Amino acid sequence: MTHVLVVDDDPAIASLVAFKIGRLGARVSVESDGEAGLAAARQLRPDLVVLDWMMPRMNGLEVCAALRADPDPQVSSVPVVLLTAKAQESDVERGFVAGATDYVVKPFSPRELVTRVTAALPPGALTP
Amino acid sequence: MTALTSAALVATLVLTGAVLLLLGAVAVEHARRGRRLAREERRRAELTPLVYAALDDDEDGAAALAGLEAAPAALDDLVLDLLPQLRGADRAALGRLLARRGVVTRAAADLSARAPWRRGRAAALLGNAADPGRTDALTALLADRAPDVRCAAARALGKAGDVRAAGPLLRALARSRRVPAGVVGMALLDLGTPVLPDLRAAVTDPPSPAAQALAADLLGLHGDVEALPLLLGLVADARRPPAVRCSAATALGRVGGPAATPALGAALAQTAVPALRHAAAEALGRIGDDAAIDLLAATVAGGDDAVRDGCADALAGAGEEGRARLAAHAWHSGRVGEAARAALSNRPRPRDARVRRAA
Repeated sequence: MTHVLVVDDDPAIASLVAFKIGRLGARVSVESDGEAGLAAARQLRPDLVVLDWMMPRMNGLEVCAALRADPDPQVSSVPVVLLTAKAQESDVERGFVAGATDYVVKPFSPRELVTRVTAALPPGALTP
Repeated sequence: MTALTSAALVATLVLTGAVLLLLGAVAVEHARRGRRLAREERRRAELTPLVYAALDDDEDGAAALAGLEAAPAALDDLVLDLLPQLRGADRAALGRLLARRGVVTRAAADLSARAPWRRGRAAALLGNAADPGRTDALTALLADRAPDVRCAAARALGKAGDVRAAGPLLRALARSRRVPAGVVGMALLDLGTPVLPDLRAAVTDPPSPAAQALAADLLGLHGDVEALPLLLGLVADARRPPAVRCSAATALGRVGGPAATPALGAALAQTAVPALRHAAAEALGRIGDDAAIDLLAATVAGGDDAVRDGCADALAGAGEEGRARLAAHAWHSGRVGEAARAALSNRPRPRDARVRRAA
């Protein structure tokens, strides 16, 4: 079963994203800060991470860069979808430079996010 | 025991009793409040998946949405918390749900409430509910006597997404009861690209210099190539206020490309307004073509102290070529070398190099 890790300090967003991705048949884990998210990604080795940028303890960019630098190839190659309120052109650039696979700006469309998550996973991993 | 001691004893007992009663009442109220909060939390937890399910396109979603119309009042807070985070069809669906539950009508009535906080809260709610039928009422609040309400109305108009609000928002910059440019700018950005014709109109036929400057800024942020001739005209027009020409120069740095280099070069070399020269230098650095780099390098090497630092900063951010030209000056003694060294150390690496390295 496809496993998605959602890391967001806003419980309403985290639970909405988890609900929508869960409806597509994925197993979803949720963490509420960057440090816990990074630890969970290393331990659980999810197939994809949905990652907020501005979070306590460790921000999403730091988590993303740490994931890309991880010695475990399954962790370093995990697709990361940044879901953030930072919408400036330079923010998007920084997100991709840090290693994001895709970038979604808040306020967001849950339908669009689900489509992007599906596209970032191998074909057939989720059933929209 | 004297009568005095007895009276003191009785008074102490009465006081102790009163304190105990008070503590008991506080504990009861505390427990009651805890139960109420727990009950509301349970209700929210029950309603949350129903709200999420209602966002689905399928029959289940439609059924969930219909079922929520008669849900308890806790639903409104849940939806209102969620709405600002969403956009698109899901947001519209939740907005319709609030309208059907009467929340929108109640908020509209509150727009004329006596208390400013109620007017502001109502405006915010109507913005989140994205009901286009409330644009006129929210527009009227842009002239409210309370500054916070004016700002709330501007933000709400941006979130509501009705492009008819663009003109009133721009005009709100120059009233005696004005709305700050930052708030208007964010609201216009929230309205998205449909406001581009209004922004171009505000550049050619401005309701005020502040509106013209903001419109130029926003056209640059949108990357509106169609506005290029208008922006070139603004930068070159010495009759325009400096703030307007600065905004146009900054916007040209974003949208102009090499076509804007001559106009920006002229602004850098021929105007006496330091802020405009700095804006032109920054824009040239952002464009970063060969001609722009030549102009910036010549200004750094020349005797013009007023904009040397700005040009050096722009060169440092203009990619490998700009940094190489700057490095050639870094060995010089005097102010030229100082400016080059400071700019190179302030900008450790250009953005394009970082992108290439990461790729």
